[in-house]
Amino acid sequence: MTLTRRDFLKASAAAAAFATTGTSALNSLRSRAAEAADNAGITWGKAPCRFCGTGCGVLVGVKNGRIVATKGDPQAPVNKGLNCVKGYFLSKILYGKDRLTKPLIRKGNRMVEASWDEAMSLITGKFKESIDRHGPDSVGIYGSGQWTIPEGYAAVKLFKGGIGTNNIEANARLCMASAVVGFMTTFGSDEPMGCYDDLDLGDTFILWGANMAECHPVLFSRLIDNRLRNPKVKIIDFATRHTRTSQMADQYVKFVPQTDLALLNAIAHVIIKEKLYDETFINKHVVFKKGKENIGYGLEDKFKFADDPKPMTFDEYKLFLKPYTTEYAAKLSGVPARTIVEIAHQYADKSRKVCSLWTMGVNEHTRGSWVNNLIYNVHLLTGKICRPGENPMSLTGQPSACGTAREVGTFTHRLPADMVVTNPEHREKTAKIWGIDPKKIPDKPTYHAVEMFRALDRGDIKCLWVQCTNPFQSMPNLNRYRKGARKGDGRFIVVSDIYPTRSTEQADVILPTASWVEKEGMWGNAERRTHHFFKMVEPPGEARNDLWQLIEFARRMGHGPLFPYKYPEKEIFEEYRKFNEGQGKDLAPYEVYTKVRGLRWPVINGKETRYRYVEGHDPYVKAGEGIKFYKNKATNYKAVIWARPYEPAPEVPDGQYPFWLCTGRVLEHWHTGTMTGRVAELKRAYPSAVCEMNPDDARKLGIKNRDKVKVSSRRGSVTLTVDLNGRGKSEPGNIFVAFFDENKLINELCIDAYCPLSGEPDFKKCAVKIEKA
Amino acid sequence: MPVSGIVLTCSMECAYDVASRVATLDGVEVHGVLPDGRIIVVVEADTVEAEVALVSGLHDIGGVMSVGLAYHNFEDIPHKPC
Repeated sequence: MTLTRRDFLKASAAAAAFATTGTSALNSLRSRAAEAADNAGITWGKAPCRFCGTGCGVLVGVKNGRIVATKGDPQAPVNKGLNCVKGYFLSKILYGKDRLTKPLIRKGNRMVEASWDEAMSLITGKFKESIDRHGPDSVGIYGSGQWTIPEGYAAVKLFKGGIGTNNIEANARLCMASAVVGFMTTFGSDEPMGCYDDLDLGDTFILWGANMAECHPVLFSRLIDNRLRNPKVKIIDFATRHTRTSQMADQYVKFVPQTDLALLNAIAHVIIKEKLYDETFINKHVVFKKGKENIGYGLEDKFKFADDPKPMTFDEYKLFLKPYTTEYAAKLSGVPARTIVEIAHQYADKSRKVCSLWTMGVNEHTRGSWVNNLIYNVHLLTGKICRPGENPMSLTGQPSACGTAREVGTFTHRLPADMVVTNPEHREKTAKIWGIDPKKIPDKPTYHAVEMFRALDRGDIKCLWVQCTNPFQSMPNLNRYRKGARKGDGRFIVVSDIYPTRSTEQADVILPTASWVEKEGMWGNAERRTHHFFKMVEPPGEARNDLWQLIEFARRMGHGPLFPYKYPEKEIFEEYRKFNEGQGKDLAPYEVYTKVRGLRWPVINGKETRYRYVEGHDPYVKAGEGIKFYKNKATNYKAVIWARPYEPAPEVPDGQYPFWLCTGRVLEHWHTGTMTGRVAELKRAYPSAVCEMNPDDARKLGIKNRDKVKVSSRRGSVTLTVDLNGRGKSEPGNIFVAFFDENKLINELCIDAYCPLSGEPDFKKCAVKIEKA
Repeated sequence: MPVSGIVLTCSMECAYDVASRVATLDGVEVHGVLPDGRIIVVVEADTVEAEVALVSGLHDIGGVMSVGLAYHNFEDIPHKPC
C-alpha cells in the first residue's frame, strides 16, 4: 500500500482531532503516518492565539520560513487542542498583500517611503520640540491590550520614567476599565479569583451582556461540554439582543438597556427578603459601603470625578435595597417579576455552584464599574466565590488586556502590579526598580483615553504615538476625534501597524510593525495565565517590532540608559517581575514560560494558583484562614458589598431618535477588522456592516430586508443595508451594528459618555433614528 | 489542497444521526464517533475558502453544538498574498 503526502496529512488531521478528545485513532498505521507528516520538514512552535483574550494555545508549523500549518495545542489547558474557526486565519493575517513594509512619512497629502533613520529622526525631533515648547504633557502614547508585556512595560517606563508624563493609555480603557474598577473597589486587587476551570465545574452559568458563542467560542464549548456531561447544568443568558448564545442557552432573559443595575439590585433584594444569604460568610468576609450618586456621564471636556466611599451597616444596605422590589425592576427592565425571583433562587440555591460571566455589555456602560460591583454583591451575599465552580468571571477581548494593559499598568493613573502614580510609596518603589529619581514620575494622572483624544482635539496634546490599535475607527463620537487629529497647529501623529487602517490615514509617520510570531513576546489572558512565544518567522520587508521601535526612540530621546538590555524581552520581564514579588501577583522566571503552556499567577515556588484568596489553593492564605481577601488591607481583609443605585443612561430613545443603538462584534471579524478584513474568505462571508433590526420595527417603518437605511444619531449618520434574517435578532426598539467595517464608521454615531469611575465609554447605548435611504 | 481535522460536539442521542449526515458532504470524512457524542471529521477542499464554507456549514447542522478546529495544513497552497 502506497501512502501519499496527502494521506499523511489527513491522518495527521484526524490524529490531532482524536488527541483533543483523549482518545487515539484505532489504526496504528494512521498514527505513524501522522507522526511522519508532522516531521516532514515542518518545525512546530507554541504560541497563544493572536485574536481574543481567551488565550488558546496554538502550535505553529513553519516550513521554509513560512507558516504552513497550525493546530490546537493539545497540551494547552485553556483549549485542550481545539481552536475556534478563527484558527483558520491565524497565518493569513500575516500575509495580506498590503502589509506595511517600509516607514512612510507625510509629504502634503502623500505618504512617501523613508528609511528608519529618517522616520525616527523626524519623530524624535517633533517630540523634543513639543516637550521644549509645551512641556512633557504635550506628548503621549496610546497602546493596546495586544501589546506584549515587554512592549507595554517599555512604553510605561519610557513615558513615565523617562519623558516624565503620565500621558500613556491603552485601548483596554475602552473594554476592560470598568472591570478593573470593579475588582479594585470590591477586592483591592485586579483580576479574577476563579479561572476557566469553573466552566467545567459549575452548575448554573449566568451570562450578563456576553455573546460567548460568537466572541469566546472555545470557552463556550467548555460550557456546552460540561452541560453534555452533567444534565444539571443550566445556562441563563441575560441580554438586550438574541444571539447564537441565546439560542444555545437554557433560558434567555431579555431586558431594556441600562436596567441591569436595577435587576441586580432586585436579585439582591429577593436574596435578602427571603433570607437566602449566607450570614456566616457575610459576617466573616464582607463589609458594606456606599459611594456618590448622580455621578454624571463625562460628556463635558475635563470632567473630573472622585468617589467618596462611606461605610454602611448590613441593615443600612438592606434599607438601600428596599425600593428595588421585583415589581419596580420588572417595570424598568421588562423582565417579569417571577423571573427575577427565579434567578435570585438560582444564585442562592445551596445545591448548585453558580458562576456569573460577562463582557462588554457590562463594562462598556456609563455605570459599568457599578454593574461589576453589583454582580460581586450577589456572589458575596450568597458566599459563592473563590471555590472551584462558583465564581464571578469577567471575560476579556484582547490577548493581553490583562497581562499587559492591566498588570503592567499602561494607563495614565497606573504603575505595574496594581500600583498608582498618586501613591508616593508606589512611585518610590517604581523609581527604585527603574533606577531613577522618584520625582521624575508625575504624581497626578493626566488623561484617560476619551480625555486624551479630547486633549488632542483641543491641542493640549500635540504629539501622539499609536501602537497596535486603531483609535480613529474605534473611539466613540469619532467625527470629533478624527477631525481633531488633523487640525494642524503642531499636531503630529505616529502610527505603528501591520496594515493601512483608518488610523494610519491620520498619521504623519507610519511605522511598519512585526506581528505575533514575527517577534518574541508574552501575553496574559483573562484567567491570570501568562504565556510566552518565540519568534518563528521573519517580519516582511523592513518591519520592526514595537519593542525595538520604543527602545530606539528612547535612545534618540536621551533615555537610552533606561533600556540597557542585551536580550530586551527577557531582561525586561525579569525586571518587571520585581514589581510582582510578594504582592500576590508573583511570576515565574522567564525561562519557565518558554517551556510551559502558561501559568496562572501568583506563581509560588514554581506552582501556579487556580483559585485566589482561598486556603488550599492560594499560598497567601494560611492554614485555618479559609477565605481571606488579603489585598484589601483597608477593610481588614474583607470584600466590599457596594450600594450602587440604578441611574438612567445619558441619552435614551425619544420621539426624534427612537431606537437604541448597540455596537459589537460578529464571529467573522475581530474588532476593527484590520486583520480579519485581509482574509478574503472572511471579507466575502461578511463584507460589510449591516443594520440588524427587529422585523416588527422594520414593518412599521415600511422597511424590507436588504433595503438601504440611513441611521443617524445626534453626532453622525451612516447608510447601511438592513438585515432581518441574520444570526442575531434585535429586540423591538433596538438595532445592532458591528464596528469592524472601515467603510461604515458606526462609531461616529456613538456617544462619548463614560463611566465616571473607570473612564470607559458606553458603545452599547445611544439614541438613533432610522430613515429609508 | 488544505486539510483540517475537526471535532464536532453533539448530544449522545443524535451523534450517529449527525455523523451520517456529515458523511454525505463532499470533502468531509468521518473518522470516528466517540461514546460521549463527539465526532472526529477530516475536511479537505480545493481552497481554504471552500474549506471554511464546509466547516461553517457544519455549525448549522441540527444537533451540532460546537465545532472545534484541531489541525489545519495548507502547505501545498502556492503563496499568493490575499
